[in-house]
Amino acid sequence: MKELLRMEQITKQFGNVYANRNINLSVKEGEVHTLLGENGAGKSTLMNILIGLYQPTAGTIYLHGEKVKIDSPKAAVKMGVGMVHQHFMLVEAMTVLENIILGSRKDSSVFIKKDQVRKEILALSEKYGLDVELDKQITEISVGAQQRVEILKALYRGAELLILDEPTAALTDIEAEGLFAIIRKLTGEQKSVIFISHKMREVLSISDRITILRAGETVTTLNKEDTDGTQLANLMIGREMVPSNYKKVTATGDEVLSFQNISYQKQHKHSGLNEVSLTVRKGEILGIAGVDGNGQSQLAQLAAGIIAPEEGTVLLKTSRVSRFAPNGFILSHVSHVPEDRNKMGLIGNMTVRENLILKATEEARFSYGHGALLKNKAITKFALEMQSKNDIRCASIEQEVRNLSGGNQQKVILAREMENDPELLIAVHPTRGLDIGAARYVHDTMVAARDQGCAILLISADFDEILNLSDRILVMFEGQVMGTYSGINPPIEQISLAMAGKGN
Amino acid sequence: MKQKENLMKVIVPVLSILVAFIIGGIIIICLGKNPFQAYGFLFSGAFGSSRKIAQTLVIACPLIFTGLTAAFSYKCGVFNLGGEGQFVMGAVASIFFVTKSGIGGIAGILLSLLVGAAAGAVWGAIPGILKITRGLNEMIVSIMLNYVATLFMGYVYTTLLRDGSVPQTFAIPDSTKLSVISKSFPVHWGVWIALFLAFAGYYFLYYTSKGFKLRAVGLNSTAAFFNGFPVNRYVLFSFIASGAVAGLGGSVELHGKQLRLMGGFGQGFGFDGVAIALIAQLNPIGTAAVAFIFAVLRKGASTLQTGMQIPTAVVDIIQALVIIFAVAGTALLKLPAIRQYINSHMGKKEVTN
Amino acid sequence: MDAFFNINFLTELLLSTIRMATPILFVALAETYSERAGLVNIGLDGIMSFGALIGFLIGYKTGSPTVGILAGALSGIAINMVYAFCTIHLCAPQIVYGMAINIFAPALASFIYRLSFSDTSTLIQGVSMKALPIPVLSSIPVLGPLFFNHIPLVYFAYLLVPATAVFFNRTKAGLNFKAVGEFPKAAETLGINVIFQKYLACIICGALAGVGGAYLTICYTSTYSEGIVAGRGFIALSAVIFGRWMPSGVLLACLLFGFCDALQIRLQLLSPSTPYQLLQMIPYLCTLFVLAFFGIRKSGPKANGQPYYREER
Repeated sequence: MKELLRMEQITKQFGNVYANRNINLSVKEGEVHTLLGENGAGKSTLMNILIGLYQPTAGTIYLHGEKVKIDSPKAAVKMGVGMVHQHFMLVEAMTVLENIILGSRKDSSVFIKKDQVRKEILALSEKYGLDVELDKQITEISVGAQQRVEILKALYRGAELLILDEPTAALTDIEAEGLFAIIRKLTGEQKSVIFISHKMREVLSISDRITILRAGETVTTLNKEDTDGTQLANLMIGREMVPSNYKKVTATGDEVLSFQNISYQKQHKHSGLNEVSLTVRKGEILGIAGVDGNGQSQLAQLAAGIIAPEEGTVLLKTSRVSRFAPNGFILSHVSHVPEDRNKMGLIGNMTVRENLILKATEEARFSYGHGALLKNKAITKFALEMQSKNDIRCASIEQEVRNLSGGNQQKVILAREMENDPELLIAVHPTRGLDIGAARYVHDTMVAARDQGCAILLISADFDEILNLSDRILVMFEGQVMGTYSGINPPIEQISLAMAGKGN
Repeated sequence: MKQKENLMKVIVPVLSILVAFIIGGIIIICLGKNPFQAYGFLFSGAFGSSRKIAQTLVIACPLIFTGLTAAFSYKCGVFNLGGEGQFVMGAVASIFFVTKSGIGGIAGILLSLLVGAAAGAVWGAIPGILKITRGLNEMIVSIMLNYVATLFMGYVYTTLLRDGSVPQTFAIPDSTKLSVISKSFPVHWGVWIALFLAFAGYYFLYYTSKGFKLRAVGLNSTAAFFNGFPVNRYVLFSFIASGAVAGLGGSVELHGKQLRLMGGFGQGFGFDGVAIALIAQLNPIGTAAVAFIFAVLRKGASTLQTGMQIPTAVVDIIQALVIIFAVAGTALLKLPAIRQYINSHMGKKEVTN
Repeated sequence: MDAFFNINFLTELLLSTIRMATPILFVALAETYSERAGLVNIGLDGIMSFGALIGFLIGYKTGSPTVGILAGALSGIAINMVYAFCTIHLCAPQIVYGMAINIFAPALASFIYRLSFSDTSTLIQGVSMKALPIPVLSSIPVLGPLFFNHIPLVYFAYLLVPATAVFFNRTKAGLNFKAVGEFPKAAETLGINVIFQKYLACIICGALAGVGGAYLTICYTSTYSEGIVAGRGFIALSAVIFGRWMPSGVLLACLLFGFCDALQIRLQLLSPSTPYQLLQMIPYLCTLFVLAFFGIRKSGPKANGQPYYREER
């Protein structure tokens, strides 16, 4: 096979930090080449260089053997490089067709020639099996369909090299299989794919070759045949990975949280709840498994008192909740690690110190007279304690929290939430975007809390995380509970099917 | 880190004031006058004698009130642009109170100030309520209410409380005038009220739990809500409180300086307050300081006009330039590239991992 | 109240509505372009007052209303470039900068006015634009004078509405333009130059708002006075919200506000005993009521008002 792309000695510096350092990558025609690495290993930076969003500090890029300069996304499109971002770049207020032709310069006409482009797109979609409804708004189609729109967008612009960034993160297993079929069709047409993922199973099934990045540098490139999952994982984190096996328990304690036939906007399959019943007991972790956007966010917000149910009853420590307001739940010792750290958990423009005491300013240890005068010394002392206890790495506790890395931000939230002596902890995607070290810290903290009798509601789209931590597993699909399974030797096949809406 | 940022917070407005003065100087040169002489006139007009300093302080007084109005609402993330309307309504309510109730003396003053503050609070609450219940843009609502308030005041001084043939109201009774501290330093008590409010506002925002929460709501209302703060209550409170401050300001202006309502009362104070608060980066004490500088410009402007025939509008331009530079300067500091430069050249590195 | 139902009165009222709505329409369309590209510009009042002054001044000096209008447009662009640079390049908060324009531009305008006419006590009479009746159509009874006997600028304003609609809905350029206001990052990855589009929006916005201002001094009063804009910029802002960011909706909203303005002027003539201040409140109160009852909680371009941090390259 001929070589399509070669990136040589690519270096990218942000200030004093090297995001990429002397990275080499070569992709052949008709190949699926996987980029493997932890968060922060430099995958995104490298790809942003390839699509013209960043300029490398040093290094050269060759396409079809010719040295090229990709100085803008426009240039990248012209050279046949297309990317499907993990967070789709689709304009929700526009239709599928409009999204596909957006910004394209195929012909010089002023007006949109709808009929003509429709024909062109349909031809492409048939060729590669990319089934989409052109006149629907983006908001009306499923995540899988949105992904197909993204791929069509790239192909419509004549992409020869397609970058797929964590394409299966939001897909069910069945949808993922469909995606792989599409990828095979693409490579059959001598198009190349750069596949970014950290799911070993997928990587090993779809890739031809695998390049591993660590801390901004290339570790090695391997043929799929010559490696296995363990070796890849070890190369990726740079040391022997000790799999964490948490002890599972069967809790018999009191019910801390109980939902009885809860419904919330049940006509919305992806953002509603339909007759959901569940219980979380003292000293157990209930894991909610399911593909993103099947009502989990709403479930979490109900459990934290952010939103109120339309039907059904919520029992908190066996008393019926009549007023849904976050404050009441906080006073009942409900802690919440919300799904979006920056939007919901932290006040980004406030300091680490201020964020650590966000909920506690009226407590006697931090202020005189219920908040009439803050005890700044006591607050600082507390914040410093928290910083060292939770290993929050920041230049100073006076640093604005938005400038911290994701892992440290999550530690700030976790430190604050654990201070509330939680009887119920709601953790939503608690390790999303975190590196392995920080993720391990979050998991350890949660398990330790459970062992001390805290009830934990864990919601995650990361199936491995659910399997690893949950004492019981509940599967959500389109706002409904598909079933509850034991976390001790969980029936993985059955759960996967339930997550895709099949079974029971 | 923190010190450096605080330092920049002071440097930016000071620099922008300097640059604005330099450009003002260039304009004065273009008008064929000597800028040094001009600025000499300007400052002697504002500081030349204790009487002049007192007059400058009296000019600063309403600006401090409307500046605090803006600062206080923006800290909570709501853009109350209705300072002028609230100021005017405060004065209107007060003049009604003193002319109709007949209560004089200290009691009359205190009650009248309270009535003014209450009227401002009510006028400020309207955009707040409409924002919370109907989701309306508070800027548009408060601006519309400014026009309504000004027109209503016009109705009051041309019709309802008109004093003879001139379109103006009766003067307030002598016994309800805010007294001055001494004849040689004629600053009325309202100035001290304004300064007290500035310090009280600072204390509230930075040393109390409620102020802390109000700032949190202003910076990220979603996170504030998730963390159990009653967001809507804080939003409404900030509208009411900022309206009350403006209303009190209008009342003070009436009792301390103007003594009656007529055309142009309070005109422009609302937007000037916004500008002042922005330059002061919403710090209440800074707001008082910037208001004083604006008053210096204003007081000096008339000396400039009479002494050197330089149009007072030059001072308007300097004022406008100060805000342009100050806001641009703050924005500049927030740019990632600039931040990085400052951090790498001025102190220890930030730990990113 | 007989006069109210008089056909002449009604024609006059409608005619006046069309004229009063014109400046608001210009400015509301200006804001539509700006917000469609994600830039909330609350400095419209300021741009208008500057356009009003420059339009008046140049019209007065050259004696040509057309040149005056063009100068108004250019001056609007010039002022709006301050806003553009600070919000697009410095990513300064848009609301704050709009406010800065509202303070800066009128100050500059009154400064220039005082420099140009040292005697400010007498009202200086400037040029005014002549009506351009459309042949044949203008002689239709009732409809003719109502719709086809206006100054050219009025036709231009109303023709801008369908033109804008076609631009946004039928052209590629319009699609790209809208994408910038909805999801700038996506637009950037598709090779659309976000910064350029935003500047384009600011140029269009400045020009139209400047014309809107110049309309006041050249077509409406032919004199200049401070405070001539009287919050029309903010009324236009609410027209955009009320009109759901769509040209046709914006037109309807502007006509409604124009009607209120026309009505209050007619009522002042009709009932001199009513204090005129109370009548003058009508347009402002109407804006409030319309917003309160028909305003929507959330809509409009998704990335509206948010700064776009172009990543370091």
